[in-house]
Amino acid sequence: MEPIETFYEVMRKQGITRRSFIKYCSLTASALGLGPAFVPRIAHAMETKPRTPVIWVNGLECTCCSESFIRGAHPLAKDVVLSMISLDYSHTLMAAAGHHAEAALEETIQKYKGEYILAVEGNPPLNEDGMFCIVGGKPFVEQLRHAAKDAKAIISWGACASYGCVQAAKPNPTQATPVHKVITDKPIIKVPGCPPIAEVMTGVITYMLTFDRLPELDRQGRPAMFYGQRIHDKCYRRPHFDAGQFVEAWDDENARKGYCLYKMGCKGPTTYNACSTVRWNEGLSFPIQAGHGCIGCSEDGFWDQGSFYDRVTDLTQFGVESNADQVGMAAAGVVGASVAVHAAVSALKAAQKKSQTKPSASGPTQPVREDA
Amino acid sequence: MTTLLAGPFNRVEGDLEIWLDIADGRVTAARVNSPLYRGFERMLIGKDPRDALTITPRICGICSISQSAAAALALADLAGAEPAPMGAQAARLLHAVENVSDHLTHFNVFFMPDFARPDYDARPWHPRAVERFTAAQGGAVRAAIEARARLIHIVGLLGGKWPHTLAIQPGGVTRAPTLRDRIRIEADLRAFRRYLETQLFGAEIEAFAALSTPDELADWSTGDAALFLEIAEDLALADLGRGGGRFLSFGAYPGPDGPAFARGTWTPEGPAPLDPSRIVEDVSHAWMLGPAAHPSAGETTPDEEMRASAYSWCKAPRLAGRPYETGALARQAVHGHPLARALAAQGGDVHARVAGRLLEIALTQLLMEDWARRLDPAAPCMRAVRLPDEGEGAGLLEAARGALGHWIRVEGGRIAGYQIVAPTTWNFSPRDASGAPGPCEAALVGAPAPADQPTPLAVQHVVRSFDPCMVCTVH
Repeated sequence: MEPIETFYEVMRKQGITRRSFIKYCSLTASALGLGPAFVPRIAHAMETKPRTPVIWVNGLECTCCSESFIRGAHPLAKDVVLSMISLDYSHTLMAAAGHHAEAALEETIQKYKGEYILAVEGNPPLNEDGMFCIVGGKPFVEQLRHAAKDAKAIISWGACASYGCVQAAKPNPTQATPVHKVITDKPIIKVPGCPPIAEVMTGVITYMLTFDRLPELDRQGRPAMFYGQRIHDKCYRRPHFDAGQFVEAWDDENARKGYCLYKMGCKGPTTYNACSTVRWNEGLSFPIQAGHGCIGCSEDGFWDQGSFYDRVTDLTQFGVESNADQVGMAAAGVVGASVAVHAAVSALKAAQKKSQTKPSASGPTQPVREDA
Repeated sequence: MTTLLAGPFNRVEGDLEIWLDIADGRVTAARVNSPLYRGFERMLIGKDPRDALTITPRICGICSISQSAAAALALADLAGAEPAPMGAQAARLLHAVENVSDHLTHFNVFFMPDFARPDYDARPWHPRAVERFTAAQGGAVRAAIEARARLIHIVGLLGGKWPHTLAIQPGGVTRAPTLRDRIRIEADLRAFRRYLETQLFGAEIEAFAALSTPDELADWSTGDAALFLEIAEDLALADLGRGGGRFLSFGAYPGPDGPAFARGTWTPEGPAPLDPSRIVEDVSHAWMLGPAAHPSAGETTPDEEMRASAYSWCKAPRLAGRPYETGALARQAVHGHPLARALAAQGGDVHARVAGRLLEIALTQLLMEDWARRLDPAAPCMRAVRLPDEGEGAGLLEAARGALGHWIRVEGGRIAGYQIVAPTTWNFSPRDASGAPGPCEAALVGAPAPADQPTPLAVQHVVRSFDPCMVCTVH
């Protein structure tokens, strides 16, 4: 087998200058929360290691993950990652079509057996033998199994691949099934969200390409660096929550003042994601900043939890004694989504108490942008 | 005669397969299959009507604002309410940004890269096509992706995130644009205008918007638009993918004085008003059960036997019994733009559809600039809307790819029926009970299909000229 070129060689071939390359390395380091000392390490790895091939397949989905990735990310990071990905197989972006595309997939699998990362957007529907999603004349679930067999690791992009997402909403007409329930013998990294934030996607994939290993995962298999905290923990409207200042109706006076959206059904208190820190569309904003509560799109089952405009829990329950274990788990930021809903009351109470007695105890203050 | 299965198609949104009958190197019949079905209309049954605002946008990650705006419009209609005027204006702006960026994506990322293929290396324009449009690498592709990311900042500001923005509600939008927002939005639009005038059109957009005849268009000599026109001329794309000449538009960007682009139908015989009550979804060739019905009474029950007489998950919408083509060309022809009408006069073709999109990019930029200028931070952006426990509503508007309709029925405060007819449902519909093919199926007849091309190039040009969004088609 001919040697695989390095990342650096690929980038130079794509017309990326040395200067941009170094800039990319420093962007990557900061996106991953690593210090400047890591920049030369990343650069060295990319100059010397063979690039990691990526196969990007699409099942039952809406392409929002690809779109987030293409339209949202920093142009340089996106350029670099895209050019590397499109070298192999990407259903939406590659140049070849039809039988050529299928041949390219097969060739990549054979050429990089055991070496490539399989990135899955969407999920397989299992009803009717998978006939609700056909790729290349065969059910998608077959393409998925086939491509997964020789993959080194799998990335489940978005809520679809990670949990099923809205297409799995009751009655789940097609039996849309998350990837980890179909592929059970490979390391799977879940990057949930509908869609995930572009910077989170580039961050995860760059980490894996650069360091050739999975980032640290939480108990649900999500990268801890991006899914370690609740939206609520770093929300710029948090002071209004603590002060009991809430929006009561769309565009009321409180909304204009940027008060907390908890009463409008915001799921920030039970949702683990980086929206309130990384934000969207190049760090510009996120749903809460646009006056709409979080719907919890990175949590398992978010689509079937009652109305998106129901409160996560009733405010009158704040006086109820909480379970100390749950408070501890939630406060430590390791609680899984399955228990998050139950723990929310305790967590909210604990967080509120904590901030009332020690306002700055919850880490560095998030700078308040705009309409606070 | 041979039969060929073309697909899977990449560089279209979602999955698509087409069966082609070929004789003497030409397509004699086409059957379009949308092989992806998710069942959104069934999931919505029994849910809180407001949940449609969150669930329906997830039908599609590329036209999610269109779905969200249609759902909001259907709920407003259900309640008999009108959104706050300033909220409606912010919603129009959000929607226009998405539509323009979809047109831009189609041109640069989906359509033009086909001409950078080695198959065309003998053509005089090929080196320029390679330089500008090689997939993911060409200069035009990069410039467009960058310009689009900046344009989408407007959605970021007003909507919080893109895709799957939550801001649009039946009563308006959730964020009152601040003065600062307005200034930033105007700056983003200036940057986008700069991109259009240096790259895509290479000259003032007002000049492009004012073109009124195909001859004037053919004389356009600057920007990537000129490269497209040169290629279209050389490959005779105006003779490829001829449509049936029936166009419809639900009217784009509703406002107090009606939609900014008019509602109606247009055929070479002239314009006519559109009567939405005459829309019927036929299921004779779809793996769906139930009678042909108006969407307000329609159902979505998949035929699990996948009967042999059907071949797609897509229903076949018809207006007064006839198939209609929808999209930018249809919208501008219905609205009455002289260039669009002249281009549509021969029934629609690959050249006309793509030119229609370019024209609309220029026209929409002018609208967006006007709306942004008139954003008033002091005006209310949302009106209280109380949804009734019983009732019906319809939300009809124009997505980038054409007419989009949502029909909702509520009983006991819960959704009892929800039907969605998307633009590509019209364009890529299968045959109806009378045997009449859908617009894309009809447009493919006659396309060259040489034996050495397993997925014939001409077929790909025709298919992509419609800018299909397959995930919307069958939801």
